[in-house]
Amino acid sequence: MEVFIAQVINGISLGSIYLLLVTGFNLLLLVAMIIHFAYPQVVVLSMYIIWLVLGYTGNNLLLGTLAGVASSILLNLISAPLFQKVMEKRGEVDINSTMVVSMGMGMIITDVLSHGFNKGHPIAFPDTLAGGDAIVRIGLISILPGQVYAFGVGVVAVSAFFWLLYKTRPGRAFRAIAEDPSGARLVGIPLLKTGLQSYALSGLLGGLIALLLAALLGSASSALGEQVAIKVIAVSIIAGLGNLVGGLVVGLSLGIVEAVVQGYISGTWSNVIAFVIMLVVILAKPNGLFGLKI
Amino acid sequence: MPLPLYYFLSITAVNILMSWALYVPYRMAHLHFLVVANMAISGYAAAYMVLSLHLPFGLALLAGFAIGAAVGFLVALFIGDAPTFAVVIVGFTFIYIARTVIENTEAVGGTMGLFGLPNIGGDPAVHRWTILSILYGLVLLVGFLIHRFDHSQLGRAASAAFIDKDLTTSLGIDIRKMGILLQTFSCTLAGGCGVLYGFIYKSFHLDYFTFHVVGILMTFIFVGGYTTLWGAVLAAPVLYGVPLLFPPEIASWRIVIYGALLVLVLVLKPEGVITTRFVYRVEALLSRKGLKQPPSTNP
Amino acid sequence: MEPNEATTAQPTAPQPLLALENVTVSYGHVNALKNASIQVFKGEIVVLIGANGAGKTTLLETALGINTPVSGRISFKGEPIGGVAVDRNVRAGVCLVPEGRGIFASMSVLDNLLLGAHNNMKNAGKHRERVYEWFPILKKREHQIARTLSGGERQMLAIGRALMSSPELIMVDEPSIGLAPIVVNDIFSIIRMLNQEGYTILLSEQNANKALKCAHRGYVLETGTVALSGTATHLLNDPGVREAYLGA
Repeated sequence: MEVFIAQVINGISLGSIYLLLVTGFNLLLLVAMIIHFAYPQVVVLSMYIIWLVLGYTGNNLLLGTLAGVASSILLNLISAPLFQKVMEKRGEVDINSTMVVSMGMGMIITDVLSHGFNKGHPIAFPDTLAGGDAIVRIGLISILPGQVYAFGVGVVAVSAFFWLLYKTRPGRAFRAIAEDPSGARLVGIPLLKTGLQSYALSGLLGGLIALLLAALLGSASSALGEQVAIKVIAVSIIAGLGNLVGGLVVGLSLGIVEAVVQGYISGTWSNVIAFVIMLVVILAKPNGLFGLKI
Repeated sequence: MPLPLYYFLSITAVNILMSWALYVPYRMAHLHFLVVANMAISGYAAAYMVLSLHLPFGLALLAGFAIGAAVGFLVALFIGDAPTFAVVIVGFTFIYIARTVIENTEAVGGTMGLFGLPNIGGDPAVHRWTILSILYGLVLLVGFLIHRFDHSQLGRAASAAFIDKDLTTSLGIDIRKMGILLQTFSCTLAGGCGVLYGFIYKSFHLDYFTFHVVGILMTFIFVGGYTTLWGAVLAAPVLYGVPLLFPPEIASWRIVIYGALLVLVLVLKPEGVITTRFVYRVEALLSRKGLKQPPSTNP
Repeated sequence: MEPNEATTAQPTAPQPLLALENVTVSYGHVNALKNASIQVFKGEIVVLIGANGAGKTTLLETALGINTPVSGRISFKGEPIGGVAVDRNVRAGVCLVPEGRGIFASMSVLDNLLLGAHNNMKNAGKHRERVYEWFPILKKREHQIARTLSGGERQMLAIGRALMSSPELIMVDEPSIGLAPIVVNDIFSIIRMLNQEGYTILLSEQNANKALKCAHRGYVLETGTVALSGTATHLLNDPGVREAYLGA
């Protein structure tokens, strides 16, 4: 029982990261109207940049944080014109071309990471990032600062995101475009500018995620991006592409399931089981559990 | 025959065949990455049959095709008419699972891989010539089949499905059956390729079947041109061969170069280098009837 | 109420508020508008009549900035606006209430109205109060999801949303479509009321009868060209118009 609870706690923090990733992915899908397969890889690239900056500044957490967030926002914004160029119609999601172009970007990022940083070895983050020792310990159950951050930031970020979406002017514009892009244009909402805002916001989320991943995992590798990318997109598909709330639920669930399985079965096999579960769900319901949004 | 030439020719043939394996389902907008998993599964199975069960190569190769067909067909039953992104994720997930299973199975060598496969016919030269003949025989056969497909009613239906699946369904075309057919064909082909690929090197290693392979094949198809089978024929030898001439420091960035090329092509010339119009013009010239108005079939 | 008695705002400005001169718009090879010229003066209600596909929606959307004309000039308040982005035109004082209302069904009435003020948030509160004055039902349903509104209420919401951007020219595409006759009368009363408040209105209608009865002037569009123009009374009495569009 203790193992179970401990793993559920692990799972909640892992799940928080998944749901943040899914939210960023969905945001780009709904407002920028792209499928960004390489969104998680951009996040991992930001992790590497955080690591670089930490290395150069003697583990200055503030600078590392700023670097992570700034690089993520910048990378997203830079990719925007590429996506815009391959989209045929501004008013709809062009699945094929945006997906393939993002896969190309993912290729580049993954290979740059496996070549250009740290001679291809996985990178490790200083313990200070994870915050050191456990806050609470009850038998096998321990709650580490990194986990608290992950969950806490997750809650705050998601709440802030929904507040933005439902209570602010840019959020209204996002929702309008998500529901009906051509209708939004008729009302005078600038599709391009608002789309760019969503790139920036996803970038901001991405930077936060990079930090949390660094704190939670303590390390990163070029393979991390690919793995996480598959999981995040599988989660989005299962929840239904564009389904924000569904993404939260499925993302969190995946984290918990993965962690619980990890508690009872060793390392790699637990990962496989997670993938098998996702595969089965997608095979059974290729259009998602709650139906397609687009 | 000099060894480098053997490797170049044989690997180019595999690249062409595997690009075609992706090309066929993509005619109806399915990026069927499962084929890479098929390569691994059939390849390792065949190697196991030859090494541990001492079965002849021919049998192992046929088994490779059969396993590919079985896996492809079974999966296609579920995703024959699925949206593209679902097909993509199923493919990626399968690749990951297959790799992890192989990695952890001692019987097929785990992380070390399988080595020391015997020469076909007992002699290195015979082995190489056999491999090359089978490969290029396949290229001719499969190329012919795909050519017939492209110029058939089924091919036209696939083009319609690429543009709009729902509209095509309302025209009375069974998208699911078409998906199952195309996907099973690709997976069968991929299974055989997986076997042959390993036997080129007489070894099997997980590094042969990575996610990078997906990227490389995508680059070949999209840069060469995804609307005609000739795109792969041009792209495979050129894009594989040219980096071989680069100095090692640049050649190690091969994947980045491929990725950049892919992005560039999509932004600048999405249909790729070889388009259907181009093929039509060449065909017209060759038949010496002069230039006619090209039909607008493939998108 | 006879049209000429009801409206007290008489068109007097010499320079048209909106002017299209020989505008041609094409979608690919199809010319949706060919050398169309219309003028709307400040304080007028002008109506575009024509069958489906005649080009009415294209004309309104072109004036808004959705389409860029292949040739011809569009000017608003004397300034050329051909090819200008929609949000800039909205800020300048043009707005469109699209056919089928164009409201966001999954968003609340309030959110829909606020979207109308997207480019003019400073005065959003003031404008909202005014919209609520004119359309009390919208205030009552302020937090309801737009999908739950009736047809007439949705049209009011769409018009209210347009008003939020404090426009000078309100363009309405087929205000009566899909609405019951009683509701249609209400909508046209609203249009007249807005005109009295000082808004200039350009609307397109298949229901030529009611539209002409409330307008000052009108244009008849046929397959993308302006076939006829004149005062509303003139058009109402024109035998050709009567036969083709008034069912007489």
